[in-house]
Amino acid sequence: MSGLLTTAPTSRIASRGARELNAVWTVAARDILITVKRPSSAAAALVLPLIMMGMVGGNLMQNMTAGLDFDFGQFMFVGMLVNMLFMMTTMGMSSLVDDADDNYSAELLVSPVSRYAIVLGKIVGSSFVAVVGCLGVMLVGLAMDITLAPWQWLALLGLAPLMCLSGGALAMIVMGSIKSNKAANMVVMLITMPQMFLSGVIIPIGHSSGVLYLLSRVLPMTYCVDLGRAVAYAGRPDYDAVVLFNPAVSLLVIAGLTVLCLVVGTILYARSEKNR
Amino acid sequence: MAPVIEVEDLVKQYKRTKRAAVRGISLTVDEGQFFAFLGPNGAGKTTTISILTTTLAKTSGRVRIAGCDIDAQDRQVRQRIGVIAQRSSLDKILTAEENIRVHACLYGLWAWRPGFKLMPAAYRQRVRQLAEVVGVGDALFTRVGKLSGGMARKFEVVRSLIHTPPVLFLDEPTQGLDAVSRHDLWDYLDQVRREWGTTIFLTTHYIDEAEGADTVCLINHGRIAWCCPPQEMKRSLGADSLEEAYVDFLRQDEANHQGDDGQGGGGHTGVAARTGARS
Repeated sequence: MSGLLTTAPTSRIASRGARELNAVWTVAARDILITVKRPSSAAAALVLPLIMMGMVGGNLMQNMTAGLDFDFGQFMFVGMLVNMLFMMTTMGMSSLVDDADDNYSAELLVSPVSRYAIVLGKIVGSSFVAVVGCLGVMLVGLAMDITLAPWQWLALLGLAPLMCLSGGALAMIVMGSIKSNKAANMVVMLITMPQMFLSGVIIPIGHSSGVLYLLSRVLPMTYCVDLGRAVAYAGRPDYDAVVLFNPAVSLLVIAGLTVLCLVVGTILYARSEKNR
Repeated sequence: MAPVIEVEDLVKQYKRTKRAAVRGISLTVDEGQFFAFLGPNGAGKTTTISILTTTLAKTSGRVRIAGCDIDAQDRQVRQRIGVIAQRSSLDKILTAEENIRVHACLYGLWAWRPGFKLMPAAYRQRVRQLAEVVGVGDALFTRVGKLSGGMARKFEVVRSLIHTPPVLFLDEPTQGLDAVSRHDLWDYLDQVRREWGTTIFLTTHYIDEAEGADTVCLINHGRIAWCCPPQEMKRSLGADSLEEAYVDFLRQDEANHQGDDGQGGGGHTGVAARTGARS
């Protein structure tokens, strides 16, 4: 037995930036591994589009969208894609609470990486389920004969990281300070469900008024969905009927909120663990 | 020997509590020492270890680990320590090897790759080597949730040592383990100390585990009550074993503590000075 322990490694990754990036990827990879080994969340992400898009959206499409001056199927399709990216990442962030519950956070928090690397890794890891959710949207879209042109796919693909980042950052505001799984699941539902119905994912909000108008303009996902449509509908005649805001405004709002939520959320997360 | 853990007047008062959990403790642990930090439940052991491992903020005082200040250089401190928490912090869904791989990558030893076979040969060799030494080589690719408590604990030790920390914090590492597993684990930790000169800071309720310590430090009611080599403690109290000395001393200390007004100071702080301990 003696002598076996003498070959001690020193740190192989020299630069701090590279170590932080490696940490982000490691935290994300762990979450992806967990999703692969325990695929219930990925299965739910696949099924959700069937319910929301196939059943709710399909019913609306057949019975209530006759007078619209745009293709409701495509409208809903883009909305659901953005919704899955945003919402699934938000929901995935509850794994931070799972980690605290299983005491895995003790391992994460004692590691020599910044708390931002942990949080960003969690967001990237959560977005894996979001991508699975998008696959569900694509399958349901195919079944409903709703398709997008290749350039529209590319444009949405380019926006996808921002959508996931904003969803994850929003979750951090609350996840950082929640300690119980039950509370985390409740809060995630409270964050995601209103946005699903009030952000124009399936139901158009162009004619909203009063409280619903105010709520739709306050919810971050409204700007994500609208930016997604602005990109996917660019240059098309029905652009004005579908897109609410100038894409630059949406981008600015999303970027601002994401940075704010990420910084405040990460500070709250680090403080709640350390300052007891 | 240079001091590797330096604690001065450490105080921790949790939010919404009247009394501090740790009340002005000071201690020094030299490089390569085996330091046992003992005390009854609620004495302040885990609070102290949490502060020393940078996972809990202190209220006041000064702490340096391996020459780094825990406030100003917390990341450097974390790079230099290994921690085995009271409760297992292994991910039960992952295999033991995956847990070790995540740890090694978080510590910047290697870049993450999505499979053991894809990791560099140096990593594979080291993990196999450490797992064999602890006698858990066969279970390396078993999901942690399916491992026994003893096996999982051994993998935690492997994981905490993969980055070769100069200081190892063990917070009740053998809690819930059977006698054989405890014995095996201590054999391995002794070997680590011998070969690497690792400083060990241990908290435990199994007092016999502290018999081989260089220094035994008793904490009670958030204050250091006694700090000296175990032989000296046994001699002073006329006890045959450390456990006997520990129980005798705590009974005396509890009796003295009856009149304590909770304001700090008092007779307890004098004990460490009386025993002549520098730690």
